[in-house]
Amino acid sequence: MTTVAGSIKYRGNVIEFPLENPQENDVADEMLHENLARPTTERTKRLKARCRWKHASAGEFIDSEVRAGIERMRFITEAHKASEGQPEVIRRALGLANILNKSTLVLQQDEFIIGYHAEDPEMFPLYPELSYMAVQDYLMSDYSPQPKEEADAINQYWKRFSMQSKGERYFSKEDLTRMYQVSTMEAPGFATGYNSITPPYETILEDGLLKRIEMAKTKIEHAQKEMENIPWNATEGLEWISKIDVWKAMVIADEAVINWARRHARLAKIVAEHFESDPARREELLEISDISHRVPAEPCKGLKDAFQAKWYTYLLCHAIDRYASGYAHKEDELLEPYYNISVKEKSFQPMTHKDAVEMVEMERLKISEHGAGKSRAYREIFPGSNDLFILTVGGTKPGYVDACSDMTDAILEGARNIRTTEPSIVFRWHPTGRIQTKRLVFECIRDGLGYPSIKHDVIGTEQMKYYSQFSKNKNGATADEAHYWALVLCMSPGVCGRRKTQKTRSEGGGSIFPAKMMEITLADGFDWSYSAMQLGPHTGDPTQFKTFDQVWEAFRTQYKYAVSTVIRAKDVCRYFEGKFLQMPFVSSIDDGAMELGIDAVELSEQPNGWHNPITTIVAANSLVAIKKLIYDEQKYTMQQLVTALRANWEGYEAMRLDFLNAPKWGNDDEYADNIIKDFYEDIIGGEMSKITNYSGGPVKPVGQAVGLYMEVGSRTGPTPDGRFGGDAGDDGGISPYMGTDKKGPTAVLRSVAKVQKNQKANLLNQRLSVPIMRSVHGFDIWKSYMDAWEQLNIDHVQFNVVSTAEMRAAQKEPEKHQDLIVRVSGFSARFVDIPTFGQNTIIARNEQTFGAEDLEYLNTQL
Amino acid sequence: MATCKECTYFFPVPENADDFESGKGDCVTEKEDAKGKYWLSKPTTNTSSPCPSYKLCSNKI
Repeated sequence: MTTVAGSIKYRGNVIEFPLENPQENDVADEMLHENLARPTTERTKRLKARCRWKHASAGEFIDSEVRAGIERMRFITEAHKASEGQPEVIRRALGLANILNKSTLVLQQDEFIIGYHAEDPEMFPLYPELSYMAVQDYLMSDYSPQPKEEADAINQYWKRFSMQSKGERYFSKEDLTRMYQVSTMEAPGFATGYNSITPPYETILEDGLLKRIEMAKTKIEHAQKEMENIPWNATEGLEWISKIDVWKAMVIADEAVINWARRHARLAKIVAEHFESDPARREELLEISDISHRVPAEPCKGLKDAFQAKWYTYLLCHAIDRYASGYAHKEDELLEPYYNISVKEKSFQPMTHKDAVEMVEMERLKISEHGAGKSRAYREIFPGSNDLFILTVGGTKPGYVDACSDMTDAILEGARNIRTTEPSIVFRWHPTGRIQTKRLVFECIRDGLGYPSIKHDVIGTEQMKYYSQFSKNKNGATADEAHYWALVLCMSPGVCGRRKTQKTRSEGGGSIFPAKMMEITLADGFDWSYSAMQLGPHTGDPTQFKTFDQVWEAFRTQYKYAVSTVIRAKDVCRYFEGKFLQMPFVSSIDDGAMELGIDAVELSEQPNGWHNPITTIVAANSLVAIKKLIYDEQKYTMQQLVTALRANWEGYEAMRLDFLNAPKWGNDDEYADNIIKDFYEDIIGGEMSKITNYSGGPVKPVGQAVGLYMEVGSRTGPTPDGRFGGDAGDDGGISPYMGTDKKGPTAVLRSVAKVQKNQKANLLNQRLSVPIMRSVHGFDIWKSYMDAWEQLNIDHVQFNVVSTAEMRAAQKEPEKHQDLIVRVSGFSARFVDIPTFGQNTIIARNEQTFGAEDLEYLNTQL
Repeated sequence: MATCKECTYFFPVPENADDFESGKGDCVTEKEDAKGKYWLSKPTTNTSSPCPSYKLCSNKI
């Protein structure tokens, strides 16, 4: 039987919490999630049943069929060798063209949106030109591309050309070794190949590539005429050389993309005419063929066109040209014009709203099948999922006008119905947002999907305006463009649209780990618990720190070193990306790159610098405990603390409990919150903001966690917050440490709202009571919570709505719980695909219920 | 000697296609595994040597 929340007395009334759906009274708590999926059509039901998930757990692929393909690495290498001596940007275009012209195409049964990025639907491509270490990792695994000897030779070939070889030259061995520990700093992008991008989908859908080719050709013609001006002026004329190369590369790339899409069109037609026996499917395949013949060459004319053109663009930008995590776009606004044509006007590709929802479900399943050739380290940090795939909906248009539409609703309905871990959704919350859409947001969250996560619309929009002022070419986002943003990965807003979007991770992304910095601050920068090396600067013997300020400043020194080093690594990487990893296809669909003849990787118009502090709260809670127990109350000395920590608290349990029971973040505790607010604003944000990055703007913290709170926690020794060495860190940028937020959900909000200065974004993980959320009052309570959250000017919140009973049951019988989804941190995951260590961190999160005091604070109308 | 040209799975690239070249074709094969059917298309030429999927044209579906 399902648990029903007990009644409470509120404003003089006894409030009962019967379930909104009475039929759920017959569903056991332990099996709730297995009873919530309802695919919109038989087709999406079949597609989900046979979905080729590529989830990883503890770094290993769960499905034994999943493996790396060799085609991409073979064809890009072949082109690289053949194009020696040509301009680098042309070589990049020829590399992409060779892949697209020669790669094997895949078409699967039942699918309507077609296209894949490897030679078999169980495979994924590799990128030796990005990171030979990541490829080496695969060569040593069961997922190695075959023939392995050929793959090994390719990898050896690229070693000298790789970003890693280029980037490493500008760092000392000491700095590199410290970064490669991934304990205070994430390894540099030039070594990992990890990346993110916000493709300018709008130009593809609105213009089509044939128009973009004509634009580039016109630019070339103009440039060549300019170079022929008499009298010759070298100061102007020579600048055209690189521009001509960039435009020529665009033409090569776009022609190859059109041909690739039309090869798909041929494949669908051949299957229809020679293999398919079902007349209805045959007709559908011919329609698919027609679509791929027209798009992305021509502008999209209807919703089916738009989904297909968007998918091809996604594959190119995230998987074929180079690897990039994410699924950054403002999907509802991007698709709304085509939804209106097909669903409302029915003037092209006519369909019902339900048909549109089916398209959404099919797209979600395409993403769910998408494999990413990440190294083992990056597979480990997204347990229970494929990769980070996050799209954005909701929010506002210029003038803070509601941007929600029926397309927004279709996206949310599809997500609720099909129940997949990917892609995650972000909903931009604004008071003007229409209630019917907010209700759908609630239903997704209530059903335990862990998404949409919610972002504060005004904070994000104003942030785009703020960064715009630092634009190097004085062409940052306008006030209107500032409204058109999506999350680049799981937390940080970035502009979308026809230009000015983020093209590479050097702008934003990458992590630093304050918990480990706290540990080494108490050891003069030495990492005694994991790597046994000097991991940061010497900041003095902690036992000699006479004041709390000395501890504070020693931490600051560790932090300043780490954050400058990692952002320098990103910018060095960006420098070489602009010279050797150009993206002619992306350039061709970016209005800025097209206008200026500058490759999209090199060009920066809208700064958006950020970096991710992960495990900040462990460090912050540690500072609170040190101040209270050592410097204020003088119950212990720094010598005693250091001794106890070196023993991993063994033999010091009473002392550990004192430190564990010291005030903690998330309880609206004035003592703790004052210190932690300063920590965030003065050190975490204050020091990071002093940095200027490639794009000329400041870098701001985006506190989050992904699965790194587990991975880095395991590399972090005991900390003064009472945590044992190896325990997980905190599970989100500004989230209370698991189980320590004991004063209810509104106390958490009051704590979090205190941090405002020098932040870009901060992840707030909350776990809400299943019986309350599924009750007749669920929506009203959650809506009042969200309104309060918005008024408190909090940047983000995401929810788990899953019972401990169901998670425990899934641990015992995982095969019966394939539809149990949880929010890890910034992404959702299939619970049974998460290693037990990680599962337990989710179970340990405090399940917030709502008492009368909370409802009073929220002014909930029941 | 057999070539791709005689194979059931060889489909010449139409003359109006962007990538048309004399003798160029698509090798389209049907596969099936536990998760369902799928089709693969590889570029080939009519003079290429047969692969393990080679099937005489007379058996064309």
